[in-house]
Amino acid sequence: MAQRAVWLISHEPGTPLCGTVRFSRRYPTVEKRAKVFNGASYVPVPEDGPFLKALLFELRLSDDDKDFSESRDSCSHINKTSIYALLIGGEELWPVIAFMKNGMIYACVPLVEQTLFPRPPLISISGISQGFELLFGVQGFLYSGQKNDSELNTKLSQLPDLLLQTCPFGTLLDANLENSLDSINFASVTHPQKQPTWKAGTYKGKPQVSISITEKVKSMQYDKQDIADTWQVIGVVTCKCDLEGSMPNVTISLSLPTNGSPLQDILVHPCVTSLDSAILTSSSIDAADDSAFSGPYKFPLTPPLESFNLCYYTSQVPVPPILGFYQVKEEEVQLKITVNLKLHESVKNSFEFCEARIPFYNRGPVTHVEHKVSFGQLEVFREKSLLIWIIGQKFPKSLEISLSGTVTFGAKSHEKQPFDQICIGGTAYLKLHFRILDYTLTGCYADQHSVQVFASGKPKISTYRKLISSDYYIWNSKAPAPVTYGSLLL
Amino acid sequence: MAAGSGRGLACLTMGPTSRETWAQRLGTFRASPSAFMAGPEGEDLGRHLLSDLRSEKLSEPTKISLLALSLEYPAQLWPDAPAAEAAATSLLDTLVLLPPRPSALRRPLLLAATTALAAGGALGPTSGASRRLLPLLLGLASGRDLGRSFGPASEQRTLQATAWECLRELESCKPGLLGGCLGLLRGLLGQEGAVQPLSLLLALALRNALVIQARARAGLQGLLVAGDWPTEGGPWNWMLAEEGDAHLQPQAPSWPAAEEGECRLATLELSPEEARELRAAVAQLLDASYLLTPVAQAQLLWLLGWALRGLRGQPPVLFKPQLVRLLGTAQLTLLHAVLALKAAFGEALFTAQDEALLLRRLTLAAQHPALPLPARLFYLHCLLNFPENWPLGPAGEEAAPLLLGSQLCRGLLPSLLHDPTALLARLHLLCLLCVEDEEKEEKGQDQSPRRYLEELLAGLRQRAALDGGPRALATLCFQASYLVARCLAGQPVVLTPLTHGLAQLYRAQPALAPHFVDLLDRVGPELGEPLKVVLRQEVVSRPGRDEALRWHLQMLARVADGDAQSATLGFLQAAAARCTDWGLQQALLQVCRALLRAGVGGGLADLLQALARQLEDPDGRDHARLYYILLAHLEEPKLGVALGPSLAAPALASSLVAENQGFAAALMVQEAPAPIRLSVGPHRAKGPVPVLQLQVEVLEQVYSLELRFRVERQIYAPLGAVHVPCLCPGRPTRPLLLPLQPRRPAPSRLAVRALYTTPSGLTCHARLPPLLVNFADLFLPFPQPPEGAELGFFEELWDSCLPKGTESRLWCPLGPHGLEALVSRHLEPFVVVAQPPTSYLIAIRLPPDSRLLLRLEAAQADGVPVALRTDDWAVLPLVGDCLRGLSVAG
Repeated sequence: MAQRAVWLISHEPGTPLCGTVRFSRRYPTVEKRAKVFNGASYVPVPEDGPFLKALLFELRLSDDDKDFSESRDSCSHINKTSIYALLIGGEELWPVIAFMKNGMIYACVPLVEQTLFPRPPLISISGISQGFELLFGVQGFLYSGQKNDSELNTKLSQLPDLLLQTCPFGTLLDANLENSLDSINFASVTHPQKQPTWKAGTYKGKPQVSISITEKVKSMQYDKQDIADTWQVIGVVTCKCDLEGSMPNVTISLSLPTNGSPLQDILVHPCVTSLDSAILTSSSIDAADDSAFSGPYKFPLTPPLESFNLCYYTSQVPVPPILGFYQVKEEEVQLKITVNLKLHESVKNSFEFCEARIPFYNRGPVTHVEHKVSFGQLEVFREKSLLIWIIGQKFPKSLEISLSGTVTFGAKSHEKQPFDQICIGGTAYLKLHFRILDYTLTGCYADQHSVQVFASGKPKISTYRKLISSDYYIWNSKAPAPVTYGSLLL
Repeated sequence: MAAGSGRGLACLTMGPTSRETWAQRLGTFRASPSAFMAGPEGEDLGRHLLSDLRSEKLSEPTKISLLALSLEYPAQLWPDAPAAEAAATSLLDTLVLLPPRPSALRRPLLLAATTALAAGGALGPTSGASRRLLPLLLGLASGRDLGRSFGPASEQRTLQATAWECLRELESCKPGLLGGCLGLLRGLLGQEGAVQPLSLLLALALRNALVIQARARAGLQGLLVAGDWPTEGGPWNWMLAEEGDAHLQPQAPSWPAAEEGECRLATLELSPEEARELRAAVAQLLDASYLLTPVAQAQLLWLLGWALRGLRGQPPVLFKPQLVRLLGTAQLTLLHAVLALKAAFGEALFTAQDEALLLRRLTLAAQHPALPLPARLFYLHCLLNFPENWPLGPAGEEAAPLLLGSQLCRGLLPSLLHDPTALLARLHLLCLLCVEDEEKEEKGQDQSPRRYLEELLAGLRQRAALDGGPRALATLCFQASYLVARCLAGQPVVLTPLTHGLAQLYRAQPALAPHFVDLLDRVGPELGEPLKVVLRQEVVSRPGRDEALRWHLQMLARVADGDAQSATLGFLQAAAARCTDWGLQQALLQVCRALLRAGVGGGLADLLQALARQLEDPDGRDHARLYYILLAHLEEPKLGVALGPSLAAPALASSLVAENQGFAAALMVQEAPAPIRLSVGPHRAKGPVPVLQLQVEVLEQVYSLELRFRVERQIYAPLGAVHVPCLCPGRPTRPLLLPLQPRRPAPSRLAVRALYTTPSGLTCHARLPPLLVNFADLFLPFPQPPEGAELGFFEELWDSCLPKGTESRLWCPLGPHGLEALVSRHLEPFVVVAQPPTSYLIAIRLPPDSRLLLRLEAAQADGVPVALRTDDWAVLPLVGDCLRGLSVAG
């Protein structure tokens, strides 16, 4: 379950190496075990330079992807996970966990406690999930609250010390690195009996609990006979419990109104002590029926000090909040476009913002636009080949708005214009971006009665809700569009 | 150790290195440790580092950075066990010498001493540093007063946790090390303090002790009951560690159940009391597991699962209360640990309903939009390797679990919007569903997974065909095609549209030729053969005037064969005119080469001749000429070998070098051991000249065997070669007849060489042992005289020998069977007049033109007097030897 080495590599396209090792840490006692366990199949952890080169090549992040290279491009070289084999000095280093997020590559090599030939299935290697958690933990630490490069550098400089706390010998003790940062600060507080390890200290002060429910809605709309539109709500409930006592018992409940949409696919934070089987089995996999469990969803738990994601869920609401169609007709160098959007009457008509972005890919720059909007205004970004229809805070009373126009394009010059691998030929989309505060699409809510605290003092409860669009696509109905299996099941 | 400290002190006197120098030195080291160690500063780095840790001039942060280096690179700093031992001793000395004020150095010093001992292989009962470190760690960990100040109280808690971790690492590297402390650890777990490090250490030590004791066929021997504290300098119980030493134990069982380990644990005999104690210890650990961080909980579960698996009288039901809580979380490590328990205990812990629930949770985790993609991909992997209670398929092969129907998988199917890794993973699942789909053959349902698969592949091809698109798109398309071809090889209904789709893709984007060649090299014949045909049509049916000629030629070199010759040759002829640069000419010649190998004849010869004249590049002309010569002179199978891939060619050599080496191997004659054995068979005395009957014993299969003979001293006229088309071991062979033309009648030796072709087409040459031609092998009879005239005929010959020749008498001894047997066996064909059993007149013709006449008359029991005449006096000594030889042979 231990790691032999960890790396953080920033991806820097255009530089000679295309990347820099920002951080690396090796674990020699684990390496020694690897030598024994792997036997003849042992391959030592390489130095940073060769590792960087091999990893970037494998991840297709080095600039030399122009020519066919058998070791990388062969059809039989198939990766179905984020776990790779790197060819270094004629030997194959495996398994290497690696993924990129925000330009940073996170990588580690877990210990495999057996011979590597034949390769054991990944599921049998305990170090794989431990390695992932370590990398997720590092990623969470680096990007929590971080805004710019200097903040990132500060965080990177804290990493060696933090890993000395949370992973001194290659076996991860806590994936929550912030927790360890706290524990350094809390060190003077004496530990009472049976303090959870994931709780670095105790809270002193006014009891308060805050619960915030954020729902993202995504959708794929086609306006076609044979393809069904799809939409889905993904919710996350974030809590912060400032309560005295070493292990206060709290129960948080989420409720739905009578016409609310049941929560499904619920995944909870490990601090939740028990789960109702109805919560455990409510899943989007099953065909929807009326007997679905509709709450209240009770989560008994012992909260950690920091803010945490109490649970994630999905839900299938009966209608998408905004239904629309998008039609594009090609006429020589011009495109005639028509857009129609309709807000569903059940949805709160009060947006923080709402806009439709209409990009044009694989074409020349926009040279001329003629348009007519029934509501809001249209902004044109010629160089980016992008139109943004700003709808604003409210749909009109009719709840229905439309846009029509013609867009003229200049000659295509390869380098500058946006490329897209999906929008080939007539395939095109518009994407909706909106946010509604104090509202959830499922109706899910928490209120003053949602929190039971088995501790002294009644806490102040604050609750927040919001709905955000995410991947909300409306495809050109006059051309083919990418579909999911679900949308074919009519 | 004393020496180590001494050296350190000596260094101190030279003065410590400054902070800046260290920073720069560490930076250089980290950039490339091997380069640094090979440099001038490498050798002394470890020593300097240890001595400067005690320098009062260096700040704590600098010292911490030195310790950090030692935590990562002890093997470079202290490369052998004695050096590691000395380093650990020095680090411990530094630790105890720290002044009693707060210091950030204590923790890294403990870690560094532990690392040096464990990684350096110095940990053991004879190591002084080990004897100091272990009680120190245990004392710190248990929070006892060590009788010495270890800094202020505020530091104690950090040091305590660190000490636990150090002990766990030492136990990991030396299983059984803490076996003697199990009782103490249990006792501590019940008290206050850090639950997590203690739980993990206890679980690890417990697991190790169980495995070691099982191997020794011993019980737990009261290990779980509290004992005495080891003291610093006092004896440490190394017994279990010594036993466990040879077998470093996996902390997690390998998958599927490691049979060997299981059997070993099954041999562990626990008394009822011990079993109860063990159960209590495990339950205690599990009950407190909620207090651990999720990753530590997972480690605990893996360890305990491994400890209890296969152990008699330890039902896994202890784990059950934890499962529901664990199944609800989104935590990767926890779900993975549950799967480990599932694999370890199967039905004993998971009923069929539990299994179904676990599978559903896994399925929803694999598609949950709130989880990070790498986690979802790993869940999908787990799904296809799910440890089922009753697996149906072959072990070790990815398959959709039985309970995972297409309904459950709906959300896990690929779409063009997925990233490549996710798309391939989900495509694999889709393929597995298509296999089932075919088995079920749901008729009338339009949206079968197969139709969806087809559309998906079409979408991938459309993207791959994009002009100027990234190579990754093409790679993805071919990877998907390969995956489908592999999973659905038996389904023409999938492969046929795939084949045509790929042909269309080639038409749209010939620059993908390298991908096509790669695909053809890797897929089975189910897709490979039809794809080859359509791609060839695709290439040759188009006039070669576009930019893509280079790709067409590359493609054709892979797909050209004996079929559709005229179209292929037509294409090449048209292309030849436009092959102006070296690269194109080589590509063209590669196609010719492929055709040569495929045995294409006539038209190709014309083309090659034309190329040999018309190509601009002399190298190209030479090649064309070479191919032409090969085509004109070598038979088809030989050509195949000559042009086949050369085994001798090193990987980096250019194609031309490789080709030449291939020729060298294939066209040159190789020296080889003899594939046959030859011997001279029975003498056949007839015909105008003596003929040797050669018996052949075949050792290896050979073709086109040519035997060449050389007569020693040229006593006979040069011999013609003998040709045999084919010889197979085990198949009867006819004797080979070798006519001799003696220049004088005398025995000789024939040197023999064999030239032949091996079944792999190589031409070989072998020397065979020489063959002996005896004097008797040259004997020929005279023509049979008319009946009744024999005596007269003989007398005439007898008289004719003199005066030119010579006469002699000799005594020929006889064996038990007398003269009759001797004559009938060796001289029968030459007898002119016979009066058995005592008298024979024998006339022998000796080519080229000599005669030998023998009178064997009045034989006695032990011998016969022989009167002989010959017209060639030179044969006289030979006759004596020969007759004596015959009589010895009987």
